[in-house]
Amino acid sequence: MLIPTLHTPRLTLRAPVESDFAPFVAFYASDRSKFVGGPLGREASWRMLAMEAGHWTLRGYGRWIVEENETKTPVGLIGLFNPEGWPEAEIGWDLFEGFEGRGYATEAGAAARSFAYDTLGWTTAISLVKPDNTGSARVAERLGCRHDGDFTHERHGFMHVWRHPSPEDLAEGGMEAYA
Amino acid sequence: MSQIPTIETTRLSLRGPEPQDYPDFKATFTSYRARFMGGPLNAYESWMLYAAEIGHWDIRGFGMWMVHDRVTDETYGMVGGWQPAKWPEREIAWVIWPDKAGRGYALEAAHAARSYFYRQQNWETAVSYIDPKNLDSIRLAERLGAQRDDSAASIDGNDVVYRHPSPAALSGTQLAHGIEMEIGHYADPLFKPEGWAID
Repeated sequence: MLIPTLHTPRLTLRAPVESDFAPFVAFYASDRSKFVGGPLGREASWRMLAMEAGHWTLRGYGRWIVEENETKTPVGLIGLFNPEGWPEAEIGWDLFEGFEGRGYATEAGAAARSFAYDTLGWTTAISLVKPDNTGSARVAERLGCRHDGDFTHERHGFMHVWRHPSPEDLAEGGMEAYA
Repeated sequence: MSQIPTIETTRLSLRGPEPQDYPDFKATFTSYRARFMGGPLNAYESWMLYAAEIGHWDIRGFGMWMVHDRVTDETYGMVGGWQPAKWPEREIAWVIWPDKAGRGYALEAAHAARSYFYRQQNWETAVSYIDPKNLDSIRLAERLGAQRDDSAASIDGNDVVYRHPSPAALSGTQLAHGIEMEIGHYADPLFKPEGWAID
């Protein structure tokens, strides 16, 4: 399917392409990937990249490669994720090594959520975060999420469920409150 | 890859894998049938692999088709091109659901897929990586005219490489004619038994 492109002030969210393989390998080889099923080798990383593209066909939504507008550098993998066995559709944010601490996950996560609510008509969304992934939990808090139970996945293990504010909550609080 | 091409053969329609075909894929890949293809997989792994089969088209510009019956639309398996990171070369790959085997569907679909890659995408060669214990698959490779190529790199040493005939070797040759004849016999058998054999 044709994967849409989203723009934020500093970032572009676009479809995965073959040249994203190198940053994928680096990310899944890094310690940062331990919160999202890593570390993984080259072959598994390639299959993850292909999976990200195919996710869009299977679900009608998926995750984008997030690119810095200024440098065109891929900085992360952010978007809507719902493989088989997931408790419900989630908004996920994985930043590649060296791009944390700049608010990119919050910026792209908010754009992905707006797409889910405004374009796809979702009425709710969650994010799954491993308990010791404090950086990711802070992003969830900045996006206005509340801790809403736990989920254990056969592959990914124990994770906290963070519930996003609903479209109505966001309208009442003003989008700016969470942007 | 915004659009996966469609191929029509005598009995089959090869189309991009679609969400509604997933249960058929999952049934095979979570079963013993998947033992030569990295399986059996659990439900999560099988979904992730199915998504990767589709996304392979986006990343590489070629990939695996879902094989449907042209008339009933039911699925029989998947056939096409496959080259994840560790594969030394582009592979022609196939999997037929266990209860649909033995009717020549993989032969018919793989022959059409190979022709597509040779003619439309200008491939000059292709291989199939096969577990040496997978005798049905080796036999299919040979019926497609492929020959064992021990000089070619394998994936990890646990597979054997079968080299497909070149585009020239499949153009108006006796080999091509033989493959088409075998496919033709599956579609319209020369010998049609009537009633029950008695002896």
